[in-house]
Amino acid sequence: MSANEQLLLRSGSLRRRRIVEKVVAVIATLSALLAVGMLALVIGSVATKGASSLSWDFLTKPRGLFGEKGGIADAIIGSGIIVGIATLIAVPIGVLVAIYVSEFASKGIATFVRVVLDVMNGIPAIVVGIFVFGVIVVGRGQSALAGSFALSILMIPLIARATQEILALVPGSLREASLALGVSRWRTVFSVVLPTTIGGIVTGTVLAVARVAGETAPLLFTSSITANAINTNVSEALPSIPVAIFTFSESPDPADQANGWAAALVLISFVLVASIIARALADRSRRKLSGGR
Amino acid sequence: MKKGLILSAALLCAAVAAMTTAGVSGATVSEGTRANAGTLTGAGATFPFPLISKWIPAYDQASGTQVNYSPIGSGGGIAAITARTVDFGASDAPLSPDQFTACKGCVQIPWALSATSVIYNVPGAPQGLKLTPAIIAQMYLGFVQKWNSPGIKKLNPGVSLPDLKITPVYRSDSSGTSYNFTDFLTKTSPTWKSKVGTGTSVSWPTGIGARGSSGVTGVVSRTTGAMTYVDVAYALANKLKFARVRNAAGKFTLPGLRSINAAASSVGKVTGNGEISIVNPAKSQPLAYPISTFTYVLAPTSSPKAVELRKFIYWAITSGQQFGPKLLFAPLPKGVLAFNYRQIKKIQG
Amino acid sequence: MTTTTHDQAPPGLESRGLPWRVGDVIFYGLTAAASLATLGLVVWLSYKVIAQAWGAIQTFGLGFVTSIAWDPVKQNFGALDFIYGTAVTAFIALLIATPLSIAIALFLTELAPRWIRGPVGTLIELLAAIPSVVLGLWGILVFGPWVAAHLEPFLERWLGFIPIFNGDPSQAGLLPAALVLTLMIVPITSSICRELFSRVPSELSEGALALGATRWETIRGVAIPYAGPGIVAAVLLGLGRAFGEAIAVTQVIGAGSGINASLFAPADTLASRIASQYQGAVSGLQIDSILYLAAILLVISLITNVAAQTVVRRFERSRGAIS
Repeated sequence: MSANEQLLLRSGSLRRRRIVEKVVAVIATLSALLAVGMLALVIGSVATKGASSLSWDFLTKPRGLFGEKGGIADAIIGSGIIVGIATLIAVPIGVLVAIYVSEFASKGIATFVRVVLDVMNGIPAIVVGIFVFGVIVVGRGQSALAGSFALSILMIPLIARATQEILALVPGSLREASLALGVSRWRTVFSVVLPTTIGGIVTGTVLAVARVAGETAPLLFTSSITANAINTNVSEALPSIPVAIFTFSESPDPADQANGWAAALVLISFVLVASIIARALADRSRRKLSGGR
Repeated sequence: MKKGLILSAALLCAAVAAMTTAGVSGATVSEGTRANAGTLTGAGATFPFPLISKWIPAYDQASGTQVNYSPIGSGGGIAAITARTVDFGASDAPLSPDQFTACKGCVQIPWALSATSVIYNVPGAPQGLKLTPAIIAQMYLGFVQKWNSPGIKKLNPGVSLPDLKITPVYRSDSSGTSYNFTDFLTKTSPTWKSKVGTGTSVSWPTGIGARGSSGVTGVVSRTTGAMTYVDVAYALANKLKFARVRNAAGKFTLPGLRSINAAASSVGKVTGNGEISIVNPAKSQPLAYPISTFTYVLAPTSSPKAVELRKFIYWAITSGQQFGPKLLFAPLPKGVLAFNYRQIKKIQG
Repeated sequence: MTTTTHDQAPPGLESRGLPWRVGDVIFYGLTAAASLATLGLVVWLSYKVIAQAWGAIQTFGLGFVTSIAWDPVKQNFGALDFIYGTAVTAFIALLIATPLSIAIALFLTELAPRWIRGPVGTLIELLAAIPSVVLGLWGILVFGPWVAAHLEPFLERWLGFIPIFNGDPSQAGLLPAALVLTLMIVPITSSICRELFSRVPSELSEGALALGATRWETIRGVAIPYAGPGIVAAVLLGLGRAFGEAIAVTQVIGAGSGINASLFAPADTLASRIASQYQGAVSGLQIDSILYLAAILLVISLITNVAAQTVVRRFERSRGAIS
């Protein structure tokens, strides 16, 4: 121990500093435990209460009328259709914007478009819902297409950003080599750049899907007046799982509440599994690109 | 390994697809297809939803027409039919002249009759606690704050009321039941009239708001000391206690078929646009429950679904009424029926 | 998100006088069109919201923002209640979430044994994946009743002399809503903080340690200042999320009116008032007023978001100079 340290120790300062460090460590550990604990609480509630009301009936029957138990079959199908169409709209647009930003745009324009994407990402979902209501639903009626359009507005910035980040990781030499060989620009992108990034794009898409699968606000005004039977007509409003959970959550009927927990379990399972898959895909993709082939 | 992950992703998609297919096939087996007949889509008041829920399967059997109804509140129903996003709307609040103009040719047809109960969650209190309009107004104004306050105790001698805070619960969405309840309070309490007034949506002085008849019933069932106003069928379905309310004749009445009929009995000929108020009937009706109300269906005079609409509404006000009494919906008086037949004829294609 | 360096486009496609084929032009057109469409969408949305709010803006002007009224009967509307609710719930959520997130990030980057870091980090990020409607369901049926039965009486007993903790316990109110928002923000801000702390150059922290600093002092003196702007950006992003949350808040805030000193009382935020009243608004002025609320919400969210991005960009630029 140096003379300095002996000095500090004798004056007690080092000991105090070590105590402070231990206290901070304890606080940090408790915080992490608190966060994990809350997660466990929420998911635990959903899992236990949801599992007990999950049944084959629940998954195959449509919404019930007043006093009837019913199920979420119509909501599962509706959600699948609405999110599916939203993905079909958002992926091409998101990927194209990302390609523009990373391959064609000058630095200033690229920054500008990225700011626009960030702004789009920050628009509250409820405002998106009002907007789509105002431009599509008024005069025409609610529809799954309107709901899909609203969800795609939420998905585009997520997919564009993920795609753009992965495109930025592709070495410039790859493009230059292709161009030097005389391959046209568009073919370079399609045959050379995109294939190496497909994993990242899929990841971004899966994450965006996981995010909007649980969105309620945009669907409240665009696809909430629905039939009481299974419907696949996209020009009509279709029920969705988040809106169903929203309705169940407010009801006094214990049967409705049980349905709410079970629907939440279905939704959370889907979202969690999708997130885990996306994360695993992302790790692989990033490792492959940065670690070289 | 990458193949493994893509395989997992594919499995996930396959699982979702499988569940969806199972859902569709399971449902088509049990529900039958709708390919044959027409459909009618409506939205609006939560008040008549218990009765409409009985109508839907019965009418499907009787006519093959599938009726879809979304209980989003009377305001939502008025907005939806005005924007023609549905085939018919439903509202317990009659349309104002401005709303009629905005609706561009809508008919208003009173198609059911019931009562708004005042429900409460007070441990130890019996069913049928006696309340006066004045006390109810004071509770919702925030002037009377505890269940064991002198005003309530005086009305209910011999009842042990706990020292529990009163939490008034109101509809946060635009509600015809709110209209009925505030109409009643406006007509019986000058303070309420000047401070708050009547409407499907008002500025509530105090309490907690919730969406839909379902939502307010939910809050009351979870919160001791809470009270709210809601169609009596919801109180019955959720086994919640509701109050005896004093009418103009000084009698404390419960919502029931007899008391609702008594309130509606003063309705003679119906004219104009069909708006009928039976709130706080005169003391010549000693049996009347003072917070009774008609509830209306709103249909466009010019609609591509005119034929189906006429048939459905006619069925609802005739055969459909048989499902009412169990849910405390009283049969429509003759004068109202006569008016309705005339209104139905106005729905043309 | 704020993590990768993308300060310049890779050298390539638009370069060096290589000829543009027809396919190239079409492809360029497509990508540019997509970008224009995205820009157009954002502009159109902003225009639509403000245009529809115009009736209320004309009637009430800027006084709308300072008026407590919300009276559909007297046709008098104002936003102050909801601005207060939005501000208070977001502020409390941030007050709790920020130190919590920093602590969690520290735990995950410095203090935890390596084998724990991965799983715990993943678990916390999974909290971010829980849809808000599910948090709201849990809030109504589990958390709200617990808050009313245990947390609020506890706070009132020990801290009741402070007006914000003095009131009747309620299952729905500002406090449950703020706590649910906290749960939503923590995963976002903690994952950003975690990335920031993991990027502190090891030379800096090792240097401090070599000079005799404890680990905490190193963190406090090196890591936190280094990551400072990033933490600010993380906080701003969390704030933006808190402002815009409509569903979970609607479920647990109680649609109250007026401005109450107590945190236990029911209240309402901009987003949740829009969610509960938009569908059924029957007078033109009420609809316009709700859109006015939406316009205010949009402006607040945009400002917060752009501020976050500005901080991030400046942060990345300065970091670029150092490393």
